Amino acid sequence: MSYRDYVIAAYAVFAIAMAWDFVAPRLLIRRELRAARLRAVRAGNRNQSPPELTR
Amino acid sequence: MNPLLRWFHQLGSPPYFDRFAARWAPWAYALAILAMAYGLYGALFVVPADYQQGDSFRILYIHVPSAWMSMAIFALMAVYAAIALVWRIKLCEILAMACAPVGAAFTLVTLATGSIWGKPMWGTWWDWDPRLTTELILLFLYLGVIGLYNAIDDRRAAARAAGLLAIVGVALLPVIHYSVTWWNSLHQGQTIKLFGQSSMDASMLPPLWWMVLGTHAWFVGSLLARARADNLRREAGKDWVRKLAEPMQ
Repeated sequence: MSYRDYVIAAYAVFAIAMAWDFVAPRLLIRRELRAARLRAVRAGNRNQSPPELTR
Repeated sequence: MNPLLRWFHQLGSPPYFDRFAARWAPWAYALAILAMAYGLYGALFVVPADYQQGDSFRILYIHVPSAWMSMAIFALMAVYAAIALVWRIKLCEILAMACAPVGAAFTLVTLATGSIWGKPMWGTWWDWDPRLTTELILLFLYLGVIGLYNAIDDRRAAARAAGLLAIVGVALLPVIHYSVTWWNSLHQGQTIKLFGQSSMDASMLPPLWWMVLGTHAWFVGSLLARARADNLRREAGKDWVRKLAEPMQ
C-alpha cells in the first residue's frame, strides 16, 4: 500500500511548522526595530516642541 | 588574551551578539534548506518503499530527526539555564529562552507526524503509550517554560524562573529515551544508532543523516534569530538599538 495521503499530511505538518519557525522571529525583530524607531521619533518631537507650549 | 576567550567575552556584549546573529543566522538557514532539500529528495524519491510499511515509512525521515531535536534542544536549554543561574550571564538567559519555541515546534512535529504514521500502522491516531505520553509531557514542559517566561514582566526574573523549570524538566529526557525499554511499549525500540549497527537497512540511512544535519542547522538559525529578537527587546531604548533602527526610516 502507498499511504500517500498520510505521507503528504505528515510532510505538510513539517513544512508548516518550519515556515512558522522561520517567519515568527523575523516578525519579532521587525516589531522591535519599529518600536525603537517610533521611540526615537517621539523623543525627537519632545525635544523640538515650541517653547510657548512648555511650562 | 586567548582569541577564543576574547571572542566569547565579546559575544556577551548585546550589540556584538546582534551583529553576530544577524550575520550567521541566514547561513545556518541556507545550510539547513540545502541539507533538508537533499535529504527529502532521497527520502521521497530515491529510497525504496518498505516491504511491510509501504510508503508510510517515509514519515520517519521527518519524525525521527524532529524527535531527536525535541530532546536535544531541551537538554541544551537546561544547560544554558544552569549557566545563566550560576554565573548570571544574560546572553545565556536569552539563548535558553530562545530554545523553547523551536524545541516546542519540533516536539509538536514529532507528535503530529507520529500520530499520522500511527493511524495506518497501529490503527489509531493516539495511544497512551509510555513513549507518546512522555513526549507529550515534554511539549507541556516547553509550553510551561514559554508561558512562565512571558508571564513575568521583569525579563531577568522571568528567565530565572523559566530556566529553573527547564533544569527540573531535564529529568524527563532519560525517561523518554528509555521508555521503550522500561515499559511494554507499542512504540518500536531503538532501530537507528549513531554508533554501532542500526537494524534499519544501510541503503535507507543516508537521507536520514542529511535530515539530521538539516534540522540541526535549522535549529542554529532559529536560535540565533529568536535570541536576536529577545536581545533587541531587552535592550529597547539603548542607543545601539536606536541606531540600528535608523536606516529603516
